[in-house]
Amino acid sequence: MPRDAAPRNGRSPVRHRLGVVLVDPLPVVRAGLRLLIDDRPDLEVVADVGTAREALETVTRSRRSRLVILVGLALGGPQDAAWLVRTVRERHPGHAVVAVGANADASAVSRMLFVGADGYIDKNVDPVEFLSAVRAAALGQVPVATPSSVDPGAVAGSLDHRRALEVSLTEREREVLVVAAEGLTARQIAERLGVRERTVTTHLARIYGKLGVGNRFAAVRMAMRSGLVSAGVPE
Amino acid sequence: MEDGAVRVAIVGGHPVIRGLVRLACDAVPGGVVVVEASSLAEALDIVPLSRADLLVVDLDLADGDGIEVVRQLGSRDGVEGEHHPRILVLSDREDGQTVLEALRLGATGYLGKAEGLRGLTAAVRAVANGDRVIPHALEADAHAELHRYARRSRERAVVERALTAREREVLALLTADMSLQQIARRISVSPRTVESHASSIYRKLGVRGRLQAVSRAAAIGLVDLTDGS
Repeated sequence: MPRDAAPRNGRSPVRHRLGVVLVDPLPVVRAGLRLLIDDRPDLEVVADVGTAREALETVTRSRRSRLVILVGLALGGPQDAAWLVRTVRERHPGHAVVAVGANADASAVSRMLFVGADGYIDKNVDPVEFLSAVRAAALGQVPVATPSSVDPGAVAGSLDHRRALEVSLTEREREVLVVAAEGLTARQIAERLGVRERTVTTHLARIYGKLGVGNRFAAVRMAMRSGLVSAGVPE
Repeated sequence: MEDGAVRVAIVGGHPVIRGLVRLACDAVPGGVVVVEASSLAEALDIVPLSRADLLVVDLDLADGDGIEVVRQLGSRDGVEGEHHPRILVLSDREDGQTVLEALRLGATGYLGKAEGLRGLTAAVRAVANGDRVIPHALEADAHAELHRYARRSRERAVVERALTAREREVLALLTADMSLQQIARRISVSPRTVESHASSIYRKLGVRGRLQAVSRAAAIGLVDLTDGS
């Protein structure tokens, strides 16, 4: 817990400031959020990093009992935003990990909630609302702050799809589908996953059967609607 | 919606409410009320056949929850090519869970009855136009409910994946008012086998006994306790 500093220049002592960790691949985004957050007397950015790995290092080193970790949806690659949310939940359940997007759609929001985010805040909301949501997340309230175009019913519907996919596909099949969504050939998928090409085509055939579709495009579209894969570049 | 006619179906237990809705539908260009149902049973019977373009349904029906009408007729995401009416839901209930459920099942608008159905005409017109109409506070409640829904979805997926098909079958029967012997007869196995399935189910659900299993399964939405099926 942050300690109270002794009064200086007649001002009141520093009170508990909620610690925030910023995770986003774009330095400008981090700089902007840092300005917004550090300006508030009750909040302070304790670190801003560009990768999931650095984020985990920061959190592991921190002595704070409760941090709010803001993870930008733009975080890509194998250790993407969803991966980081899942990992923080597993290893550091005492901290709040919140997904931050920009004009994300229902399936992107549902994706983050499904993997266990302690909130979702869109950058397209009023800055005051943004900060309120950060504070609410610290209190365990799991805020979902989206622009009004995002229908909560659509988010819930997307969660239903995700659950259906989680149940009907094996973990391996989900893995194959996630990689297939990148547009790679079967051979490239095989290389990525370290298996034979024949294995990949078998998996894909089984996936199509389970999802009741006839081709990869339809399967990937289902996966995107459910939030199993993120649809393109989030910002 | 051929030649500008908007076919309207009204479901409501109270004649005064049905009357108010009928009046509000006059404000819809081309609107014509094609069916009126005063009970859930009647609604499930005649509304699907009416091919209504606009459905106004009061959830608080005497013989059941009007959400069943929404469930059957609402546009769940992804069902293309089917005719789905735009739905305005009226309800006493203004809690996040109910609102989210209605939206999830395909309702376009939600109006609470507590304030005397103020704004009913505007809501009917807006929904007929395809615009979402939800009071700001209710939408906020629905948003607030999302994380609980997400957690239930996740937990349910974990459990569903862990259960075998047979175990899911047994779990459904465990929620019914049946003894283990009756369950055994129903699925043609020995009572010992049922007990063994039940133990496995309890372990996978992380509970100690039948009552807890049913309770936990219902909490995550794995089983539905609302009617005796």
